[in-house]
Amino acid sequence: MSADSERHRDLLARPLVAVANDEDAAETARAFAPYADGKVLAVSVVEKAGGAVDKAPMEGVEAEAEAGFAILRERLGNVQTEIRYGTDVVETLLEAARDHDASAIVFTPREGGRLVRFLTGDVALRLVTEADRPVVSLPVHGEAAGEGDADMDVDADGDAT
Amino acid sequence: MSGETEELAKDLGPLAALTIGVGTMIGAGIFVLPGAAIAQAGSLAVGAFVLGGAIALLTALSASELGTAMPKSGGAYYYVNRSLGPLFGSVAGWANWMGLAFASAFYMVGFGEYIRAIFGLQGTLDLVVVELSYLKIVALVGAALFIAINYIGAKETGRLQNVIVVILVAILAVFTVIGALRADTANLPASQGLGPMVTTTGFIFVSYLGFVQITSVAEEIKDPGKNLPRAVIGSVLIVTLIYALVLFVMSAAVEQGFIAGLPSDQIAVVEVARVIIGPVGAIAMLVGGLLATASSANASILASSRINFAMGRDRIVTPELNEIHPRFGTPYRAIAITGAFILVFILFGNVRTLSTLGSILHLIIYALLNVALIVFRETDVVAYEPSYTVPFYPFTPILGAILSAALIAFIEPTFVIGVGAAFVVFAVLWYLGYARSQATERGVLSEYVLSRSDEMPDSAVDAVAAVQPDGGEYRVMVALSNPETETDLISLASAIAKQEGGKVVAVHTVQVPDQTALASGAEHIEEFDPGAEELLENARRDAETFGVEVETHTVVTHRGVEELYAAAKQYDADLAVMGWGPGDRSRVEGSIGEMTEAVPCDFLVLKDRGFETDRVLVPTAGGPDSDLSAVVAHHLQSEFGSEVTLLHVAEDEAEGEAFLSAWAEGHNLADATLRVETGDVETAIERAAADATMVVFGATERGLLSRLVRGSLVMDVVDDVDCSVLLAEKSRKRSLRERLFGLD
Repeated sequence: MSADSERHRDLLARPLVAVANDEDAAETARAFAPYADGKVLAVSVVEKAGGAVDKAPMEGVEAEAEAGFAILRERLGNVQTEIRYGTDVVETLLEAARDHDASAIVFTPREGGRLVRFLTGDVALRLVTEADRPVVSLPVHGEAAGEGDADMDVDADGDAT
Repeated sequence: MSGETEELAKDLGPLAALTIGVGTMIGAGIFVLPGAAIAQAGSLAVGAFVLGGAIALLTALSASELGTAMPKSGGAYYYVNRSLGPLFGSVAGWANWMGLAFASAFYMVGFGEYIRAIFGLQGTLDLVVVELSYLKIVALVGAALFIAINYIGAKETGRLQNVIVVILVAILAVFTVIGALRADTANLPASQGLGPMVTTTGFIFVSYLGFVQITSVAEEIKDPGKNLPRAVIGSVLIVTLIYALVLFVMSAAVEQGFIAGLPSDQIAVVEVARVIIGPVGAIAMLVGGLLATASSANASILASSRINFAMGRDRIVTPELNEIHPRFGTPYRAIAITGAFILVFILFGNVRTLSTLGSILHLIIYALLNVALIVFRETDVVAYEPSYTVPFYPFTPILGAILSAALIAFIEPTFVIGVGAAFVVFAVLWYLGYARSQATERGVLSEYVLSRSDEMPDSAVDAVAAVQPDGGEYRVMVALSNPETETDLISLASAIAKQEGGKVVAVHTVQVPDQTALASGAEHIEEFDPGAEELLENARRDAETFGVEVETHTVVTHRGVEELYAAAKQYDADLAVMGWGPGDRSRVEGSIGEMTEAVPCDFLVLKDRGFETDRVLVPTAGGPDSDLSAVVAHHLQSEFGSEVTLLHVAEDEAEGEAFLSAWAEGHNLADATLRVETGDVETAIERAAADATMVVFGATERGLLSRLVRGSLVMDVVDDVDCSVLLAEKSRKRSLRERLFGLD
């Protein structure tokens, strides 16, 4: 990979951060904080059944999204947020990225065994393979070694991953 | 919400909304009950279904009006709770939730009957496997399957529902047409009279539960003002028509006595189809029955999670039930608990008890729902603007309420009515014992009565006041540890509680050494803290001199402040008052490492140099924390007649004056003395404080409690002034999610 620092900065010039809920947001904020120096656009997708009853009350899912946004705002400062509704999480995210001309889509893959992935669909894999722009996958438990504030511990070496 | 977003979010069209109702109802009405209904009512079985449809229609009209006024998650429960308050809300919520669980169990037993018929398990029914019949085993396995599907959340099932309903209606249409060709009124069984007919209506009323579930997903319906009434009323009309036609055909197309003569393990609608259409008809009915009972159960489980959600939102049950699964995106806890109820009900109930209990509990809701509508109309609630209104008001809802309640009396066996009554009693006790201290919604009715307490009869006002929820009450927690500051802290807390119309919660924290187990510390409180009982007794007496209600608690702890946060959460405090002085200081310092998180409620910390409230100084630079200072100053002013001085230090005096007078105006302190100074902030505050008996500071962003120890601008001032100092830190407002899920 080229060490062109300007290109590197461009990649995260207008990031779209995908958020599901508060836990996911906390994880994402921790891993993304060292790179978030400009405006961040956070998007959460409310999965719709598309003409049938949803699997969860919409108000509850929206509240989960807002909780995630609140954490991002608290930790990353300047965060613009948007809730999107769609029957396909990945497609809806990609659409949001297109609408906002995002430079990259940033997300934290969630853990889960093979069975869970089979049942829920592998969002991470689909996001990576179907995207029309760079996708940045943040490390899970990025600071397992240290107990302190994540923002301080991670240094520029993090770029290597 | 922009137009496009709204279109995506509200994606249930008119047909989808209609099929929720039809799909939930048709499974029971056609595929399970007709045999028993005809056996019981004879030719009037048709009448029994039509009567049921008429009663349901009255309530459907009311549900439509309420639904268009409040298209919210939770449906019938939500309207009753909003209108009649949480006591009736608890009854409606539990009835709706358990009613759906009974109905789901009933559908699954019906599902089991179809499986039994398809796989020819009839002959082996008496074969007992661990005391369970095949029927129950199949029902349990089926129920577990549908619970699992909803737990994991397959959105395909929802769309499948639409297809299933269309298939069912098609099957029944063919059945009706062919049957009508063979129909002969001479075949009709003898009428059993009106009494058995009404009893039959009570028994088959479980076929009319589905329409109200449409309202529980009202938030997802496209253009609810138009589509919701159409779906609710339309589904009742459609299923009533289908029931009537199919029942007529079943009675008239086969010879008299055919249905009554069927063995109990044969399904009437299947056998009739076999006779009039042949084996193909029987197969179609068997498949139809499987699909119908499955879709009814699936829709009911899904609807029940909405009821749960709304109950949790209003704190009738713990909002933790609403937690959404991080991977599956489903309200998995609500589904799991509802599922457990369904399995238990299948184990212990038979078709008759399950269906009648489902009916009774829903009839209770229907009666309350009609009353709820009348209350909304009569109390002129401003926000109540339904786009659909009930025709012939008030006769329609009054009739709806009376008939729904009256039908309960006709239900047999009568012990089932007793079980229904027991559920109501349980829900009332649940409210009084648990939900009353949690619930936040007071209900339109009690607000109306209490706001007109002069005009209303005293007994009505007393009765309403007696069952008010206190979850919405303002609670001031006082952390007591030092007997010397007890009176001052309680006075401060009581004054604020009195002004807010709230309650004082005195919490005595007893610190025991780390080596002592907390449980043993609790047994020996007097040993670690000799004055414990006396302290709380004094606190109670001091608070009572202000005429505020007080409750006292003791918390045994190893550490200080951390436990204070936990106590503030546990006792649901809106404001916590604590002392900070030589006697209190160590506990604050002890655990400062953990104090970086935001405070769980508003906090006031008193540096006590004598509780004198004659002249109160409030330095302000704006911001949320000095909002709290302003509220406190205002309360002190109202309670003690304090003279309040506001101080603002600005670079430009004119600008400062403009800011301060606007700020005073905006915080109910227009009559306060305004003081604007320039220059060094600290010196200005110290100078102003020389004339004051108390200074009220707002903490800034960094967190009040950590500032106490680290020493900062405020803290220097605290040490440099001679009067008492009150530090105020405002909590972040509880987010929507915290209110919904009870997370802190």
